[in-house]
Order: sequence, then C-alpha cells, then structure tokens
Amino acid sequence: MTVSAIEFTRLGAPKLHLFAMKCDKCKELSPWWERSHCYKCGHDTLTEFELAGKGEITNYTVVYYPPREFLGQEPYVVGHILMDEGVTLPAPVMGVAPDAVEVGTRVAATLRRMKLGHEGDIYYSYKFVVDDDPAPKKAAPARRAAAKKPAAKTPAPRRPAARKK
Amino acid sequence: MSMRVGVLGIGKTPHKIQHEKSLKDLGVEAGRKALADAGVDPSEIQMLYVGNVGSVGFNYENSTALMAAHHLGVVPAGAVRVEAACGTGAWALHLGCVAIASGLYDTVMVLGMEKMNDLATVEGTSIIAQAADSKEEYFSGLTFPSGTALTARKYMQAYGVSEEDLAHTSVKNHFYGARNPSAHLRFECTVEEVMNSPKVADPLKLYEVCPMTDAASALVLCREDILRAQPNRPQVYVTATSMASGTWYQASDTLQDAYNLFHRPATRAYEMAGVTAKDIDVAEIYNSFAIQEPLGIEGLGFAKMGQGWKGAKDGSTWLDGKIAVNPSGGLLCKGHPLGATGATQAVDIVEQLRGTAPEGMQRADAEIGISACRGGPGSVGAIHIYQRLEG
Amino acid sequence: MATLTSYGAYVPQYRAPLGEIQKFYGRPGRPRSRALATPSIDEDTLTMAFEASRDALKGERGVGAVITATQAPPFGLRKMSATLSRALRLDDGAVHIDLGANANGLLDAFRIAATLDVGPTLVVATDHLVAYRDRVADVLSAGAATAFLVDPGKTGFATLGPQARAADEVFDVWLLGREQEPRFRLEVLFDSYGKVTARAAKALAAITKRETSRYTSICPSQPHPQVLRSLGKLGARPEQIEGTSFVGDIGNVGAASVGLALCLGLDASRKGSNLLALAYGGGEAVAQEITVTAKPKGIGTREMIDGGEPIALGTYYRWTEGRQQQPH
Repeated sequence: MTVSAIEFTRLGAPKLHLFAMKCDKCKELSPWWERSHCYKCGHDTLTEFELAGKGEITNYTVVYYPPREFLGQEPYVVGHILMDEGVTLPAPVMGVAPDAVEVGTRVAATLRRMKLGHEGDIYYSYKFVVDDDPAPKKAAPARRAAAKKPAAKTPAPRRPAARKK
Repeated sequence: MSMRVGVLGIGKTPHKIQHEKSLKDLGVEAGRKALADAGVDPSEIQMLYVGNVGSVGFNYENSTALMAAHHLGVVPAGAVRVEAACGTGAWALHLGCVAIASGLYDTVMVLGMEKMNDLATVEGTSIIAQAADSKEEYFSGLTFPSGTALTARKYMQAYGVSEEDLAHTSVKNHFYGARNPSAHLRFECTVEEVMNSPKVADPLKLYEVCPMTDAASALVLCREDILRAQPNRPQVYVTATSMASGTWYQASDTLQDAYNLFHRPATRAYEMAGVTAKDIDVAEIYNSFAIQEPLGIEGLGFAKMGQGWKGAKDGSTWLDGKIAVNPSGGLLCKGHPLGATGATQAVDIVEQLRGTAPEGMQRADAEIGISACRGGPGSVGAIHIYQRLEG
Repeated sequence: MATLTSYGAYVPQYRAPLGEIQKFYGRPGRPRSRALATPSIDEDTLTMAFEASRDALKGERGVGAVITATQAPPFGLRKMSATLSRALRLDDGAVHIDLGANANGLLDAFRIAATLDVGPTLVVATDHLVAYRDRVADVLSAGAATAFLVDPGKTGFATLGPQARAADEVFDVWLLGREQEPRFRLEVLFDSYGKVTARAAKALAAITKRETSRYTSICPSQPHPQVLRSLGKLGARPEQIEGTSFVGDIGNVGAASVGLALCLGLDASRKGSNLLALAYGGGEAVAQEITVTAKPKGIGTREMIDGGEPIALGTYYRWTEGRQQQPH
C-alpha cells in the first residue's frame, strides 16, 4: 500500500522496472528495497541491477483474504521467486489455478496494475505469470529442495482421550 | 543481573468483538480492574506505558496514551505510547519493568489495548499489514496470514511435517479456549474439523488463524519491597525481561531466524532469572497463527528444531504434560488485539502463578512461568519470566 | 519507404461467456462472438501494450518514437506512450505521441511513423472496450494489444505502402467530451461502414493499380456484414478474409482490431504477399497496402486467439464492476 500521488511520484520509474540492488562491496544481490543495507554483508552502498524477468518459485501460498488492492483477484498465488540472477523476491503469480502451481514452477515477469490509489493514481509494477518458455535459462545452481508434499490425509484420530481437567 | 518486579495487580477485559465499547472504554475498563486488584489509587501510578498499535488506522485516533492517562486519572504522571508491531504489549511490559528496575519509579501501570472491529475485515487486514513493510513486500499481495503461510510451508518441507501434524496445535488451543471465559473463540475442535476449515492462506486454514479482537489488559507493577510488605497478596514477580529484534522482510526470513528470534533473548532471560527451560511450568507462547507455537516451543528450548509440533499430539504440551503451553487457548482462541496481546499473556501467566486461572485451565502447582511474544514478519522477540517467590 | 521490422501481439487469456452475459443483462439476440477475450482485473491497455511491445522489441531499446493508439487510455492528461516507453526502458529522448484514436488509429500511426525521422518507431494499438449494458450495443469487456516496429532506414520484412482514406460526417459512435460510455446510432453505423469502406478500398486500388480481389489477404478491423458486402461488390473473395477474422471468436477489440487482423495476415504471409489493411472508425475508413518482402517469423496470433481459459459469469461481473475502478 502506498500513501499518495506524491509518494508514487517518488517511486515511479523504479516501480516500473524490475531490478535488484547489487552490493558495491560483496557484489551480492539484495531485493530492490535494500537501498542502504546489503543483507549479505551489511555494506551501505548498493547499485541498481536490472533483472531479466525469469525465475522459479521456491515457496508460495494462496491468499483467500486479500488486502483491498487485491480484492476481486482472490484466490491468488503469492510466491517467493528465485530470479535467475540469484535474488529472491516476493510476488504474486497470476493466471494460474492454485493447485497448478508448485515449488519449482518457472515464472516470467509481466507489468500489471497493482492498485488504484485513493487519489486516482494508478500504480503499475511487476507480477509474474507461469513461463511457458520451453528452454528456461539455466540459473546459478537452482537449489531446489526435494519438494516434500504434505502427507496424504489419514483418518484423523479422535481427540486424545481422558484429558484431566 | 537479577530483577524482581512485583506484580501488584492485573486486570483485563473480555477478548472478543465488542461493538458497544470504544478503544477508550476498553482501556479504562482494564486499567481500573488492575488498579482495583492492586488496591492502588490512580494517583499512586507514577508512569503509564500504553501499548497500542493501529489506532490511527482502526479508530482514526492517535496519541492514545495521553487519552488513557486522562480517563484513568493518572495525570500528572507521565504517559507514553509504545509500539512494536504485535510485540507491543510485551514491550510496554518491558518498559514498565525497566522503569521499576532502574529505581526511578515505585509503581507504574502497563496497559495494552486495541480495538480492531470498527472496520471491515479487508480494511483491517490492510491496516495490520502496515506492521510489516506494506509498501514493499506487501505491495506484492502478501498479508500477515499469507506471509506466515510461507513460513509454515518452509517448516513442513524442511522437517517432513504434514498439515495434519500441525493441526493438533489448534485442537489443543481450542480445547482450552473453550474453558476460558474471556476468550473470543470458545469451541473445541477435532483434527478433521481443523483440516476441513476454510482456507485462509494455503496451507493455513481458518482454525489455524486468530480472529480480530477488541480487548485491553493491564498490570500494576511495583518495586519488590512494596509487594513484599503485603504478604497477604500473591507474591508473583517478573524476574526476567529480554527483548530482541529480527527479520523485517519475509523474503529473507529463514527457519534459523525464526528460531533465533526467541532463542537469543530467551537465553538471556533464563540467565537473568536464574532458571532453565526445564524449570518452566507454564508458558504463554505467541500463536496468532498456529505454526508459531511449534516455532516458539523450539526457540524457548522446550524441543529441538523441527520437533516443536509434537507436544500437541503426544500430550506433553497439554495442561498436565511436561509443560503447559497456552493453557489459555493462546491467541488462536483469545484473538490477537495487537497492542494488548503481550500484556494479556502476562496477565494470564500471573493468574496461573497465583492459582486463580479458571477451572480446567489451571496448571497445578505452577511456580515458574514464561511469556514469549513476537511481532512483525520476524522482527520482535520478547521474553518475560515470572516466578512465585514466597519471602 | 517505411518497413516493418518486427511485430507482437497480446490477447488476454480469459474468455468470458458472452451469451450468458447478454442473458444476464437481458439483451436479446444471438451473441456476435463465441466469447470475449477479457482482460483480468489487474490488466489494462497499458499493461497489454507492454506485453505486445516487449514481444515486438525483443530487448531492443534504441527506439526514436513511441506512438500509442487507444480508445481507453488509463489516464487523460498523462501520456500512455511516455509511461510505456519508461516501462520498456527505451531511450530517454524518444518522441511520445498518444493518438486519441478509434478503430483506424493504428493506420494513422503508420502514416505518422512513415514520416518521422527519428529512427525506429514503436507503434502500438491497444484497447479495452467495456460494458455498455444500458445501450443498444453489445455488452463487452474485450481487449488486446498489437505492437509494430516501423523503420524508415532498415529493410524489414514488409513495406508500408500507400494509404487511401474516405470519410463522411456521421454520428455513428461518439463520446461527449470525456464521457465514459460511448453513444451509438447503430443504423447510422451500419449504413456508413459499408459505404465508406468501399470508397476507401476503391481509392486505394486507383493508387496502387491493384484490384481489391488481388490482395493475398484483407485485414479488416471488423468483418461486419456491411463491410463484407461492400468488399464482395469489389470482387473480394471469402478466402481473403477467413484467415484474418477473429471478432467472432473473441469480440471487438477496438483500436487493436485492425492490428490483430494484420498480425494474422502477417503470420500466414510469404514473400510477395500483399495485404490490405482496412480500418473503419468515426465515419472514416483507411485502407493501406502492405507488401511482404521476406517471410516473417510468425508470432502465433491464431493460437493466442484460439487458446484461452473460460471464466464464469461471476468472475466477469467482479472484474468489470471491479473495485479497481473506484479510487480507494
């Protein structure tokens, strides 16, 4: 949520671009909001680093109770996307049924309306869609933990018996 | 460094939707109950710490500590508002303890309060999201439930835990919530009912998520010798207060971070109180979302990482188990009135140590208790230890 | 001569059930389209333009001008072409032109692009026609975007040939000032379509010396019966229009219609193909000859149109009534 047209003017072009912040010292990438603090080494100077827009989902949830600006889009998937360049960003993944997404799904960035602000200012920024590119770019070792699916539902035992009051 | 802050009085309002009461009404009700319990006149309060998070959003009012000071009659004592996301109530308690321990004040009041239900759920959700980075991560459609759901999925994947395994936590909390007269939700449920409850943010379901609640809780704290001088009063003292900060962005929060959030301040707290995890009889562990209880149990040293969920299934964290965790029904049943929660946890532990908790949720012979409160995406860790110390 | 060096299109993936929608609003008659390509609640003409442009540009940033044609810009008094340009990270000094267009805006944009001297020009026709349930016209929420890179210098795969225009002063579809919903007089519209389109096609034939019937394919903004009748009188054959028709599949997409028809024509073309782009709007018809000089790499426009995921009436209603429409 952003406050006003003034704030969005301040944020404007950066929000239209998909980028990360590259630490001047350790060269690691942090998400775009880390303008003064590298969260790998704590250094205080970082530079904008453009992202190509491709990545894979490393974690996700499905939101059924949205905040105001996402009303009408629920249920929607929000994931942690490990971009091919090696930085993790949170983002919604649109146009996919909640049960069709899983850890490891490749996604691609797209521009979408994020919010119609209360001053009638439309905020645009990035969401993701499932990437149907057949040849995904090979990332730096995509550490994909064997996706442990939750165990199938077994018949639930009744409440433990005889709880002392 | 040891500490003995006397708990002279406690008081709390019911925890539920209370359309007929304003934020001010709630604060005054809890404050007066605590003063009455303490046998203290408002003029004896030398400092008021008010924990209140979202009044600008929920209630269109600010400066609520100054409002409370006036209506409670503690003017001209100082009054200040404390805010640290969901850890606010515990932070107000911490400052109250520090005030006493510093020797500058004899008697202070801690008041946590929140009124969340004047607005619709969707508005409330957005306001709560302001307690995380609403402009950056939450711009992407995350909310507190969905951000915590990401942690739940990570936990399940890392330790091979199923949704059903986690459901036992809700079953336990609801068992005791049903026995807590001041709880928001007062019904028992089974694992199956938890599994079938509507989804909120996959994998979290309705019975694994706390309701939005209106409530206030208050404590009157005093210097040790003041409470000692009234041996007819229950001799309950806060013997440790330890606070920490942690992850601000969900994207960087790991399971190790979640563990550290409690582990680090808890280590200091145990040392301060001169006790160990094994000595704890009863614990109130922040669980606005069910997954936070196992994480908290692990961070406090009651179970190894990845094992904290087991106690709800095998009975060891039920009332008469090894350690009673959330015998009040936890936040899952009491709700999470943001600014009040940390103070409510303290009030509930003090009741346990006094032996005055409602029937069906009183831990037998409780002497040492702990409250663990957290806030933000993983940003506040607040640990307090309480002991009944007969003179 | 101005050439096309690249093109791209974006059709939303969702298909709304037009028959059910019309029934719900109590509109009689057989639906004119099987379904509507409905943009999601978080899409609009700018986001669709971004998608189509990104496909057309393929990473190219050296663009001298951006021209957008739409009937539904997200803002008045703010240039969509400029925001699009910034989102695409194009050169700072590019010329930005927003055309207050109707269905022939794309061809107007081609005409302008052919005269500019700023290097490659990105021409985008994007539109989102929204529900007019109280009016006599169809209920719609259909949108799409098409993007073309026009270069006067390079040799692209197709040449933008001559244009011819014909216009009558009519009140067929109009807005009063900045009203939201257009006003219609369908009798006038149906009358004008056929007449004016025929005149433009004939005028073009006179310039190019190529009869209407001799184009490889005709790419009309609307294969309306009146238009087809007029074209038929000029000797056009069904085969020329079959491959470029899509309105019956996904609805009328406004300024993007002639663009989609053109993309379909280009996808199916070969070296030497001649396409007749034909757009009608606001009483004016524009006809343009486009000659393919090298077989272009197709972009799969037909697959975009044929693909798609059905959405329920409730979802359609939520997206069109949409909270996004109200500032909050």
